[in-house]
Amino acid sequence: MIELAIALVVIFVAYLMAISSRDAVRLLISLELMFAGVFLAILPLFASIPDTAFAILVVAIFTSGAELLILISAIIILDKLKKGIEIEKISTGGDVE
Amino acid sequence: MDLYFIVPILGALALLSAIASLLTRDNFYSALYMSLTMVFIAGIYAFYNLQPSVVLITLVFVGAVGVVTIAVAATYRAKSSRKLSLLPAFAIAIVVALIILRLPLEFRFEVLENGITFLGDYFIAVLFLVCMMILIMLSTIKILKEVGR
Repeated sequence: MIELAIALVVIFVAYLMAISSRDAVRLLISLELMFAGVFLAILPLFASIPDTAFAILVVAIFTSGAELLILISAIIILDKLKKGIEIEKISTGGDVE
Repeated sequence: MDLYFIVPILGALALLSAIASLLTRDNFYSALYMSLTMVFIAGIYAFYNLQPSVVLITLVFVGAVGVVTIAVAATYRAKSSRKLSLLPAFAIAIVVALIILRLPLEFRFEVLENGITFLGDYFIAVLFLVCMMILIMLSTIKILKEVGR
């Protein structure tokens, strides 16, 4: 079960990167890293239900691809509208002061 | 010969590259280390002889998602300073450590690889996901065009 422990720590590192990121690109990288942890967490499922585990893996990979598309368009739109990709420039959602 | 020692080594390398991705200040190197983490995770899948999964992770995740992320990070290569929030990080670290302590780390599972038929059972599901990706791409193009006006 060492794979699950590694997956948990990778997800934790990615979470730390997400809360400490100052620009949208670093946020994108942290989300991709979270998906890496998720892929590792799926691995023990192959021991009991391999078909379902493979289906979950395929869905997770396509979800990460869709997330990449959405975040890249968000970065481009943010750059176009706010002339920068810093997180501070986003004024909607989250804890805005 | 028992080659299980490869899994902890690959896991440690994946962890090290994930931590390097967190610690580096350059977005470009951060994306590179992120792709390296993916490669090590694909290596763990390869150890268990899950070939279709290795191909999917390597081609789609490292090959496409990773390369696009590196390209975006190279475009916006900002050396931004971090603002590490220690309190939530400390709380989550304690929870993660407690979970890991409760895990039976010495337990080793046997991966079943029979019945993984990529184009057989899951063809409709894959077709559906490809359609979903195309729809998202089209809507992205539409949004970008509207913003450009």
